[in-house]
Amino acid sequence: MMNRFNHLPTLKIDTSDKIPFTYKGKTYYGTKGDTIATALYANGVRIYARSLKYHRPRGLYSMDGECSNTMMEVNGIPNVRTETTFLKPGIVVKEQNVKGSAENDFLGFIDKMDWAMPAGFYYDTMHKPAKIWPVAMKQIRKAAGIGKLSPDHHMPGKYDEIFPTCDVCVIGGGPAGMTAALAAAQKGLRVILMEARPWLGGHFEYRTSEYINRQTHHERAVQLAKEVEKTDNIRVFTHTANVGAYNNNLITGFQVGKESDVFTERYIEIRANSVVVATGCIERPLLFENNERPGVMQAGCALRLANTYGMLPGKTAVFSIGHDLGLETAVSLHDLGMSVPVIADIREDGQDPALLKAVLDRKITILKGWVATEAHGGKQVKKVTVKSVDATVSKTYDCDVLVASAGFTPLTGPLVVNQAKLTYDNHTNFFLPTDLPKKMHAAGSLLGFENAQSIEASGLLAGLKAAFDCENCSIAELGEAKKAMEDLPGPARGTKLVTAPVKGRKTFICFDEDTSIKNIKQSIDKGFDVPELIKRFSGAGLGPGQGGIPGHNLPLFTAKYQALPDIKIRPTTVRPPLVPTFIATYAGTNHTMFKRTPMDEMQRKDGGIFRNIGVWQRARYFSKDFTCKKEIENVRNNVGMLDGSTLGKFRIHGPDALNSLQRVYVSDLSKIKEGRVKYTAMCNDDGCVIDDGVVVKLGENDYYFSTSTGRAGQTIEWIRYHTRYDNWDFALVNLTDAMGVINLSGPNARKVLEKVVDIDVSNEGFGFSEYKEFTIADTIPVKAMRLGFVGELSYELHVPASYMKSLWLMLKEAGKEFKIQNFGVEAQNVLRMEKCHVILGQESEQRTNLLDIGMGFLWSRKKTGYKTVGVAALAQAEKDNTRLKLVGFKMENNGRAPKDGALIVDDRVRGHVCTARNSFSLNEAVGMALVEADMSKIGTRLAFYEDECNGELIYGTVVETPFYDPEGKRMKM
Amino acid sequence: MFSKSKPMWGKKTKLKSSYDVVLIGGGLHSLATAYYLAKEHGITDVAIIEKNYIGYGGAGRNTAIVRANQRTQYNVPLYKEALDLWPVLTKELDYNLMFNNCGNLNLMHSEAAMNAARMTIATAQFHGVESHLIDAKEAKELVPALNISEDITFPIHGAMFHPPGGVVRHDAVVWGLAKGAAKMGVEIHQQTEATGINTKNGKVTAVVTDKGVINTKQVLISAGGYSAALIHGFLGIKLPISVLTIQAMVTQPLKPILDHVVSSGAYHCYANQTLKGEIATGAHMDPWPNYTTLNTAHYIKHQAEALSEFLPALRGVRFMRIWGGLADMTPDMAPIMDGNEQVEGFFMDCGWGYFGFKSCSAVGRHMASFMATNTCPDILKPFALKRYQEHKLMGETAALMSYTPDN
Amino acid sequence: MALTITCPICGKRNGYEFRYGGEEKGPRPDEKDLTPESWCDYVHMNKCVAGVQQEWWFHRDGCGSWFTIFRDTTTNLEKETPEAKE
Ligand SMILES: Cc1cc2nc3c(=O)[nH]c(=O)nc-3n(C[C@H](O)[C@H](O)[C@H](O)COP(=O)(O)OP(=O)(O)OC[C@H]3O[C@@H](n4cnc5c(N)ncnc54)[C@H](O)[C@@H]3O)c2cc1C
Ligand SMILES: [Zn+2]
Repeated sequence: MMNRFNHLPTLKIDTSDKIPFTYKGKTYYGTKGDTIATALYANGVRIYARSLKYHRPRGLYSMDGECSNTMMEVNGIPNVRTETTFLKPGIVVKEQNVKGSAENDFLGFIDKMDWAMPAGFYYDTMHKPAKIWPVAMKQIRKAAGIGKLSPDHHMPGKYDEIFPTCDVCVIGGGPAGMTAALAAAQKGLRVILMEARPWLGGHFEYRTSEYINRQTHHERAVQLAKEVEKTDNIRVFTHTANVGAYNNNLITGFQVGKESDVFTERYIEIRANSVVVATGCIERPLLFENNERPGVMQAGCALRLANTYGMLPGKTAVFSIGHDLGLETAVSLHDLGMSVPVIADIREDGQDPALLKAVLDRKITILKGWVATEAHGGKQVKKVTVKSVDATVSKTYDCDVLVASAGFTPLTGPLVVNQAKLTYDNHTNFFLPTDLPKKMHAAGSLLGFENAQSIEASGLLAGLKAAFDCENCSIAELGEAKKAMEDLPGPARGTKLVTAPVKGRKTFICFDEDTSIKNIKQSIDKGFDVPELIKRFSGAGLGPGQGGIPGHNLPLFTAKYQALPDIKIRPTTVRPPLVPTFIATYAGTNHTMFKRTPMDEMQRKDGGIFRNIGVWQRARYFSKDFTCKKEIENVRNNVGMLDGSTLGKFRIHGPDALNSLQRVYVSDLSKIKEGRVKYTAMCNDDGCVIDDGVVVKLGENDYYFSTSTGRAGQTIEWIRYHTRYDNWDFALVNLTDAMGVINLSGPNARKVLEKVVDIDVSNEGFGFSEYKEFTIADTIPVKAMRLGFVGELSYELHVPASYMKSLWLMLKEAGKEFKIQNFGVEAQNVLRMEKCHVILGQESEQRTNLLDIGMGFLWSRKKTGYKTVGVAALAQAEKDNTRLKLVGFKMENNGRAPKDGALIVDDRVRGHVCTARNSFSLNEAVGMALVEADMSKIGTRLAFYEDECNGELIYGTVVETPFYDPEGKRMKM
Repeated sequence: MFSKSKPMWGKKTKLKSSYDVVLIGGGLHSLATAYYLAKEHGITDVAIIEKNYIGYGGAGRNTAIVRANQRTQYNVPLYKEALDLWPVLTKELDYNLMFNNCGNLNLMHSEAAMNAARMTIATAQFHGVESHLIDAKEAKELVPALNISEDITFPIHGAMFHPPGGVVRHDAVVWGLAKGAAKMGVEIHQQTEATGINTKNGKVTAVVTDKGVINTKQVLISAGGYSAALIHGFLGIKLPISVLTIQAMVTQPLKPILDHVVSSGAYHCYANQTLKGEIATGAHMDPWPNYTTLNTAHYIKHQAEALSEFLPALRGVRFMRIWGGLADMTPDMAPIMDGNEQVEGFFMDCGWGYFGFKSCSAVGRHMASFMATNTCPDILKPFALKRYQEHKLMGETAALMSYTPDN
Repeated sequence: MALTITCPICGKRNGYEFRYGGEEKGPRPDEKDLTPESWCDYVHMNKCVAGVQQEWWFHRDGCGSWFTIFRDTTTNLEKETPEAKE
């Protein structure tokens, strides 16, 4: 393991703290503060992985997080970007996409087969003859993909989510971002500052060069960070990557937890009044032959390796750069002990004079107007050819590191995903934001500033603009900040070079997909002439690096190849998440929420088997026998108790209460008498039944009504929607959760009820279809109705939720001698089916209207002038005799019931079975079906086609309904 | 082995002043219609007018799931024909459409859903389409990553398994059809926007574009999510359509882990693994009309929550890209295909929502026949616009899809 | 996008608190003169404007009112008036 520096002020490692980890089955040591990739680097690892298509060796290249060269499997988690992931004790690190090892990959030969794989080659191959495709496809799948994930992988860790709001959200904790945050905070605003790296400081933080007056950039970064941290109204999220920005300033990101945090990662969603984006720049990859050979790295990467992680990237570094950061890096690495034989600087002129002097003082050769054209060395750089940009002169240098960087490229992602427009700017060679969304501002080096004071001044201005959005800053102050900026140096000139003078067969514009500039040319020649199409055809930018590497070069190269004028140079599309984000992290805490009825606990104790039904959990069965024989027979013979609390329950009152009900219900509700229950239905405008329930008149313009479980949530908006133009005066209250319902059903129901109430519940005192209000034990207020959904004597007791448990227990106690039992939703389903009482959604489809389902009797045709929802359509559809109608059927020859969902067929499909069961009550198989009208006549023979029947049909006949107790004597007894 | 690098869909030509047929929109449906007009009817004086580039719309944004196990007898045969066409087209076009017939599993989360699935399965089987109801265990055998435990929001009871379905490479279909159509003489005019349709005495006379007026007697609007706005804007015809944004996303690529398309209505989520190894997933729509194709923070989170439950292994993989496209939804989740009804010579093929990829080949073929013969093929008749007036919604969905409070 | 809607009672809120309720088409027509065409036009047909439209929203997770706003369907941003441009 190499010696690490331990004296640099910029170091983020603690060399005294060794951390063990496993790599390729052996134990290695890194130091505290290392990323996995730097720990490996310190242990001599140079090849981290092999590339997707050609299995080319890949090494450490960027350390800014946009490059996937160092993706590895860590603790079973694939595609971990090891260059930005902290080393933790005991982790197990594996190489990905290799046959053998990254060092010796048996598939490395594919690199020589590139001629056989031009852009989009897979569209032109492997389909002739057709039978090779399935085989080829299997191979493609195996070869594609990068990391491996086990199907029973369990993601360790805790994932959290928070949704803070703030006045100003600043994205990027570099000098510009920190200045902006401080400016806004000083105006008294609530500020959130998010920074992707684990520490603040950005592009200043790791540099020991001079800021001003002998203060280093690093010291300045520390100074600003301290100020930020002591400002109470700035909430700092470090190690928090911004992943999305949406209109109206919704900002998302995720934070990686520290050891002391209770979360592994947490999702953060911020609603801000104003946003400052100060995300800075990354480097633009230099395009030349073998530009991604291990040993080739960007300037920032080389410098961070030394200054942040305390190690030199190698012994001898050749530089091919196009910016002052390159010169600065050369000087720094030289001073730390590396040999720097030559700097090829793309620029003919324009270098910072002080840096130039420093270079010359150190006797480093600098070739202006030169660029690397090829890296030599099979697995690692050994030699570099550099040429003058016009390719007339060439030289070769030995080295083990090639620092290569064409210039900078701004991180405009947060702006772009929030719909900022980018325009190509010739001076900086950047795509600059020209049309920013409302209340979103940009600052810092992403605007092209390289001068440190300009960067901070732009941060100040942006911070004040954000404060202005929050009405906390005057125009005069803004003017001053603007003026201060004008006195400072503007954006720096950017290098224009798109590629070194090469043919480009092994010049990679996209590392993830092994897309060379030759492939780009092939795509363009085939007619894929805009960057978006080139991406799709060649794959460039679609890999795990998410366009970070090719993002800037692809449009530049395309424009150059097509000789487009500047205004036609269009950037490629950037899409969220801006940083790849775990599904676990996005999911956050991932609550599941269901409503439970007031009887939930009691029914669970009684062995209820629960199901999620809509927003509720309900007891569907009370035994493992899912035919529910016992439950059903007990209701038919004794008495049962069902929790009906999920029914929608509403009260509507006020001068226009009746008008409103008349608008939505098909029946004429002006006719209901107090003390009576009216069963009725609601249709949609198409006449299709959407709900049924009962309405009770409590008093003048005061009604209580129930809806089906599924409609409870929508009823208020439905009634208000259909009366929204009328300006009616009514109050509508949803009592669904406030009231519970017990359905007491069976021939013994009266005997049970008698024991707990003191009103007359005889058939004379409380008849069928009647409504009564009373109290039980002088305490429990009850709204009681005599209904007959299951076809037996039954009482529906509506009671405040808090009393449900008491009543339930009282009934259970009282019912003991009459063999009272619970029954669940499935038993109810069978019981009501025997009575041919419909359940909407089961006996009806969305297109089934009131008449189809045999409920036309509810429609009061005389009620006019109310613009009742659905009746116009019913009137129009009434004459149509091709619709599906609901019928009852019995099976022939005492046959079994067809399965629910069986089709009714002749030479085509004529209908389907809604519900059918072998009825215990009737001792035969019965069911209901929707069939075309001409088959709905009594006596029609129905042929049932079930799934997996192999064409063997079973038969039944349309019969009169209901099946059970046709005269309805039992529910009226 | 490799066709030389010449433009796949012909050199750029100048727009002529007249064509026999003009197709507005350079998506799958126009391209397929053009292809079959030329191939089966010899009509090659055809211009496709595309505002951006071919495949800009849903054609280039969809997740390319194909299947033929629809709910009604009107739909199944159409989609079956389309499903059977993928290998045929691969051969005809000499372009690998990368049909991965891996099969689709549609998860069921309750007894009621299992019963509902049974009807769909019976309908498929009745029409000769393979589809089976399987239980949770069998589903787990097919998809080992599936979580069939009871303690998730929507426990899995079983699935509708449709072996012949799968995934096709959507871009390949766009480019392949373009190549095939162009070869027979169809002109594809990209960067050309249709701005109007001229009519006289109830007949189409011309299509107006930003590059000039084109005289024609027949025009088809099949501009994906843009169709309804264009049809209303050009001809004043309103449609029962709501245009919503639908999103999809992919994770980083993985070695094979998911061998089938898995979908769940309850979770509003489907997922499959592309040949490149990414898990492609989507389904949810933000329920308000808009033309932005913007994605939302809400949705990617929702998707992560859903996948965390029923495919929990995927918690360890990262999302890398989300995008949006338009879905032109009708209340009955079935498309509108019509012609010569509102205006002579005017045809429309729209309302394809988020399911218009899988059908494009068969629909193009029948629309071509409709336009060439001026007779509506029987298979398209149930899809006429009139059905909404006649209260005859299609029944493709059991629950109503409408963006009024109607659902 | 991250829709916000301004409720006349509750002010500007997260769009997910609301439910969309269709294009503004005027009051319910009188049932007696409805033809299948005019009925269908009112119930099902939309203009699908790519631009500013007036539309209904319901404040579901809020005050429960129905109201209309103008919104540009090409940007998903609310507008004060139908003519308002960016
Ligand atoms: C995210 C997503 C996932 C999907 N997943 C699936 C799936 O898995 N399976 C499936 O079957 N379907 C899926 N779909 C649906 C499918 O993509 C669409 O139904 C289908 O692509 C629409 O038909 P099209 O290709 O003909 O239209 P589009 O591709 O939408 O074509 C419309 C074209 O018209 C052009 N245009 C618009 N206005 C004009 C004008 N004025 N002049 C000229 N040109 C104009 C547009 O630029 C566009 O290129 C999905 C859709 C999306 C958005
Ligand atoms: Zn409100």
